[in-house]
Amino acid sequence: MREKESPNVQVLNIPELLAQLGDDRALLGELLEIFKEECPPLLRSLAEAVSSKDARVVERTSHNLKGMLSTLSAPRASSAASQLEQMGRTGEMSGCRGTLTILEAEVVSLLVELENCLETAEQ
Amino acid sequence: MKILIADDERLSRHLLQKTLERAGYEVTAVENGRLAAEHLCRLDGPRLALLDWVMPELDGPEVCRLVRQQRKQVHVHIVLLTSKESKKDVVVGLESGADDYLIKPCDPEELKARLRTGLRILQLEDKLVEAREDMRFKATHDSLTSLLNRGAVMELLSRELVRTRREKASITILLGDVDHFKQVNDTYGHAVGDEVLREVAKRLLSSARSYDLVGRYGGEEFLIVLNNSDARYALARAEQIRNAVARLPVQTTRGPLAVTMSLGVLASGTEGPCSVEDILYEIDMALYAAKAAGRNCSKLVEPKFACAEPAAT
Repeated sequence: MREKESPNVQVLNIPELLAQLGDDRALLGELLEIFKEECPPLLRSLAEAVSSKDARVVERTSHNLKGMLSTLSAPRASSAASQLEQMGRTGEMSGCRGTLTILEAEVVSLLVELENCLETAEQ
Repeated sequence: MKILIADDERLSRHLLQKTLERAGYEVTAVENGRLAAEHLCRLDGPRLALLDWVMPELDGPEVCRLVRQQRKQVHVHIVLLTSKESKKDVVVGLESGADDYLIKPCDPEELKARLRTGLRILQLEDKLVEAREDMRFKATHDSLTSLLNRGAVMELLSRELVRTRREKASITILLGDVDHFKQVNDTYGHAVGDEVLREVAKRLLSSARSYDLVGRYGGEEFLIVLNNSDARYALARAEQIRNAVARLPVQTTRGPLAVTMSLGVLASGTEGPCSVEDILYEIDMALYAAKAAGRNCSKLVEPKFACAEPAAT
């Protein structure tokens, strides 16, 4: 079930992100480092929980991912995580695998955008 | 100002910590509700807290309830952080004792403004507590000398008598009266009289121990209660105190004045159901005896003092 995301919604809302960080570019670098460390294990746990249909773990891990992604002003990825959280909460898991694929793809795009943003900022 | 941040999600926690440190807060950041509750329930713990709603071990509302139960002496201003979807649960959060809530991710300017509101509430509370303590002090202390006033020293004496009997301890009670005080007032005026009383109070206080009671009993009369004081040394202690008053002239605006004090002394043991009134009557008699003996001396209440069981009389 591919969700109907408006094509106008960005992978990364840079002005919002920078406003959150008080335009602190060094802080952006720190957050990116934390994201690179924290995200892969969470995505792995989430994938395992989706496979084993463990609704509680799906809810918990996607809640944490959603928190991180919304802090990073990544509306598309955080929306996917939010849908997964909802599925975990209700136990309605049929769309999990598809949404997980979307989330994983969004996270990859987000990482690229964040790296670019940091590079631009450092120049 | 100290603030506690509790969020199990490291990235948000780091961002909040940096934002608030930049705003001048002294931040403690923890990753679960149990640690948050531990910090907030400490006596010197932070009085501002930002708690994520969903956390392992204890969630935000559970931490709120715990803090409200355990830290009753001071108000802790608690702001819950919630995601947009759980906004409908805001009522639950506020009813658990939270003061405010913010939707994550929160705008840094809004966050700081909300915390400033919290600070204003805490400052208001501090002012009220200060005013209450000030009133409590005024209600129990004499405005001229800052010693305990008559009501307070009598009340404390009565408690000490009960404790002394219960613990089979001993207590020494002194009633001191400044000699010829009326002459000071008549000769130099009441303002100088007040200076003398203030200085006598200071000397009495500095010759007593921290756990003794020193109060202004009436005009120029002072009541001193020496807790856990060996009855055998009661008179010697009274003499020490009398000497502390008389040793040096009191420096007044009208020049140095020699000031002395007469004292009635009661050394009580464990026996007897004696009321504060009975005891003070007896000490008053001893004080009269000291005055009659030429003043500037201490007289013990005679051991016949009827503190024994009524059956013994």
